[in-house]
Amino acid sequence: MNSLSFATVKQLREQLKNKTISIEELLDFFINRFAAYDGELGAALEIFDKEWILKNSTLPGPLQGIPGLIKNNIAIEDQLLTCGSHMLEDFRSPYDATVIARLKAQGGAIIGRANLDEFAMGSSTETSYFQKTKNPWDLSRVPGGSSGGSAAAVAAGLVPWALGSDTGGSVRQPAAFCGIVGMKPTYGHVSRYGLVHYASSLDQIGVFSRSVYDSAFIFSLMAGKDEHDSSTLQVKSKDYTQKLDGTLPKGLKIGIVDNTLSAEGMDPEVVLAIENGMKEFEKLGATIHHVTLPAIDYSAAAYFILSRAEAASNLARFDGVRYGFRNKQASTLRAMYDETRHDGFGAEVKKRIIVGNYVLSSGHSGEFYDNAQKVKRLIRSQFVDAFKEVDVLLMPTHPAPAFKLGAFDLDPLQIDLQDYFTCPMNLAGVPAISVPCGMSSSGLPIGFQIAAPHLAEELMFKVADAYEKATPWHTMHPKGY
Amino acid sequence: MTKISRDEVLHIARISRIALHEDEVEPLMKRLEEVLSYAERVIEAGADIEEPSTKNVNIFREDLVVPQDPEPILAQAPEREGNYFVVPVILDN
Repeated sequence: MNSLSFATVKQLREQLKNKTISIEELLDFFINRFAAYDGELGAALEIFDKEWILKNSTLPGPLQGIPGLIKNNIAIEDQLLTCGSHMLEDFRSPYDATVIARLKAQGGAIIGRANLDEFAMGSSTETSYFQKTKNPWDLSRVPGGSSGGSAAAVAAGLVPWALGSDTGGSVRQPAAFCGIVGMKPTYGHVSRYGLVHYASSLDQIGVFSRSVYDSAFIFSLMAGKDEHDSSTLQVKSKDYTQKLDGTLPKGLKIGIVDNTLSAEGMDPEVVLAIENGMKEFEKLGATIHHVTLPAIDYSAAAYFILSRAEAASNLARFDGVRYGFRNKQASTLRAMYDETRHDGFGAEVKKRIIVGNYVLSSGHSGEFYDNAQKVKRLIRSQFVDAFKEVDVLLMPTHPAPAFKLGAFDLDPLQIDLQDYFTCPMNLAGVPAISVPCGMSSSGLPIGFQIAAPHLAEELMFKVADAYEKATPWHTMHPKGY
Repeated sequence: MTKISRDEVLHIARISRIALHEDEVEPLMKRLEEVLSYAERVIEAGADIEEPSTKNVNIFREDLVVPQDPEPILAQAPEREGNYFVVPVILDN
């Protein structure tokens, strides 16, 4: 049965098609995997009733019967939508997010809700109100975040695919920490309708999978214009797996972002893994070009300001009046607002709201918010200029492998800087994919990311697929699962 | 280095509609100073960048009335009476 645990979506589809296994058997298998292993891992907040799952995945389609785990800030009709927060502990979504509706329409079996940092604010999945998720490669380490539950479940072979959301790196960084594939689309390529807002100008829903093919496959089923999200782009849907034949496009130019490799705090093992990756790309026929994106050094600061500012506005809706938690001791409306938000939000969320309102407040918005917007445009223009010289960009997903639980409790600024290499793509709005590219001497996975121009996901997948097929990293799994 | 006063923290918490208990004020001041001092680097980086020349575009849709059952929404209210949300007293005597 172990061959099923780490099978790809593609392989499972073959098995269902050949009738070597039934939809119900497959579902039982993965439900049992969660029951056996998730007690210590803490990846899922809930695995749904088998009857509910089957009832909601009856439509024949390319994803029929293939279970997927959904980050719990993406709405699933009738199911809890907690966002990892006490504020929404009992809130049930009255509707499906567009991505869920689309995947259900293709037969996708929504198996459960994944743990996350509260309101997707964090880089370690430690800020969830409910539980901490562990990294299956080493239970003393974090799975990354904020989509840590989704990443840990796929990495441990509990489910073949999962959805997360990526505002500053929340899909790519946990994918790198857990040794799997994680992609963030071009801003506007996937509908955000039904994704609980964190920073709306940066948020995108992304895919976790064991292979680049699966990533392209799931992405194909959920991408495209949505009348419920006016920020979605006018793009025709297509099958992004069509061109994945393990080859690179002829004459491909890859830009290695030099100033990321020399950045402070870079683990030498990560640098080595990326240098080996460059050699592999050369063997596949690509030429490597050295590129510098100086604005990356300002990205974390700009991201920090813009994301907190947008969060402060977006989270104003949680006031104890219409839904969610309410402090019932408060005797006036004003006290009810203040105490509801004090008790309902965790420390990290409150800090981000207060920082956000500070950088937006009169007297400070000129210094902080306006300059952060300018830096955002600078980063975007540096990416656009770089893509005039090279086809794709290559850089680390994260400066080091997964860190220990609680590692930054005494140095909280460091956890705020976890998005250093991933947030530039959110600011630029370009797509990026993190792919396993090595193992550290202590047995932890390392990932790099490939970024492509706006709406060039097809090229991004093709480059990542060729690398994956030439290297063994995606076939490695944590022991004991 | 951004300095944050106690009054500023209390003011921002007030406009954020988040109660701050006495023991939470001091640690929050420290954290705010630390993160804003880091974020300050955008001021220098943004100095030479011109204002944007392009404007965002509004995307409109028809303003149609779509019949919807209010019950699933109202059922989530912490307190309700018929089709109304109930809140504590608004004007404090």
